[in-house]
Amino acid sequence: MKASSGRVPAIAARASRFAAVPAAALALALVGATARAAAPLWNVVPAQSSVSFVGTQQGEKFTGAFGAFAARIQFGPADLASSRLESTLQMRSVTTQSAERDDTLATSQWFDSAQFAAATFQTVALRAGVAGVAGAANFTADADLTIKGRTKRIVFPFSWQARPDGAVLDARVTLDRLDFGIGAGEWADESIVGRKVEVIVHLLLAPAAGR
Amino acid sequence: MEIRSTQERWGGVSRLLHWAMALMIAGQVALGWYMTDLPRGLPKLRLYALHKSFGLTLLALAVLRLLWRLAEHRPALPPMPAWQARGAAFTHVALYALLFAIPLSGWLFNSAAGFPLQWFELVNLPALTGANPALKEVAKELHEGGVTVLLVVLALHAAAALKHHFLDRDRTLASMTPGLRAPAPRQPR
Repeated sequence: MKASSGRVPAIAARASRFAAVPAAALALALVGATARAAAPLWNVVPAQSSVSFVGTQQGEKFTGAFGAFAARIQFGPADLASSRLESTLQMRSVTTQSAERDDTLATSQWFDSAQFAAATFQTVALRAGVAGVAGAANFTADADLTIKGRTKRIVFPFSWQARPDGAVLDARVTLDRLDFGIGAGEWADESIVGRKVEVIVHLLLAPAAGR
Repeated sequence: MEIRSTQERWGGVSRLLHWAMALMIAGQVALGWYMTDLPRGLPKLRLYALHKSFGLTLLALAVLRLLWRLAEHRPALPPMPAWQARGAAFTHVALYALLFAIPLSGWLFNSAAGFPLQWFELVNLPALTGANPALKEVAKELHEGGVTVLLVVLALHAAAALKHHFLDRDRTLASMTPGLRAPAPRQPR
């Protein structure tokens, strides 16, 4: 929030030079400046948020989750221009209900977690979306997703549900693991591990304090 | 060859099941012993998949075999001391029990480890339990321990069969083995 909190005193300082400006107009200008400055910031409630995925191994679906992730969510449904979603995932925090599979995922042919510890996600543009969750506002983001050092621009549809105490963001996006070199070489053959992986994001968000 | 067993010989179904399973069990024990020490990777995963597919096949054959065994009369035992007849009955019951216990403990091991179970890339089978590290260790011990017991019982089974054929010179081994004739009785010199 450095950008907006820095801008408000600047405007106030400029306004004070024009002492003739009526107080009411100054107050209005301040409110306007704050609203225009940026969409609100949100904090992830980790205990009720998850980044999980569904993959296919030997004809059977399995679910995995990333225990360690952080997100910087700046979002206002009516202020998409200044909204921005960013997240960082720790690849080593993956769990898939199988210790052997988790260990395999860390190896160089898969996530190569030693070399590429984190995956990053950041939106570059947001717009109102159409299809999605009933009873929620729906949006679509173009986002840069970087896994294993490879960046791909993806379309990221998500829903936003305002709640009395915050908001819920839900998203489902299907990725092709080979776009990121995950399970390359001998594993590229789909008969053992499917290429398509559905990533499921569920974030419970609380308004960031100090606004 | 008769399909059903007679007083003298095992029938075609019993003999086919016996030797097909014997061959598969030998392959499974060798494969199981070899694959566990492989480094993690696709070849290992493929061999495990093969081991699981043959294990499920053996389990299905064990069901068929038990039903067939219960549905027909086995050939009469050749004359032998009562303790040997009891020993034969005991090893046969133990073998049947192991034919079920080993694949089932493998299935349990696989389920508790959280791995998928697929039969020759054709059909998926459900997990017997969710992922459970403690149960996984128990099932692993049962599976490996079961194989150790199997090898001991099989050694007794094979030794007894050979004793009947070469020492007692009766038709026991020939009654189960295609192409094998009962040995001629020893001629007193």
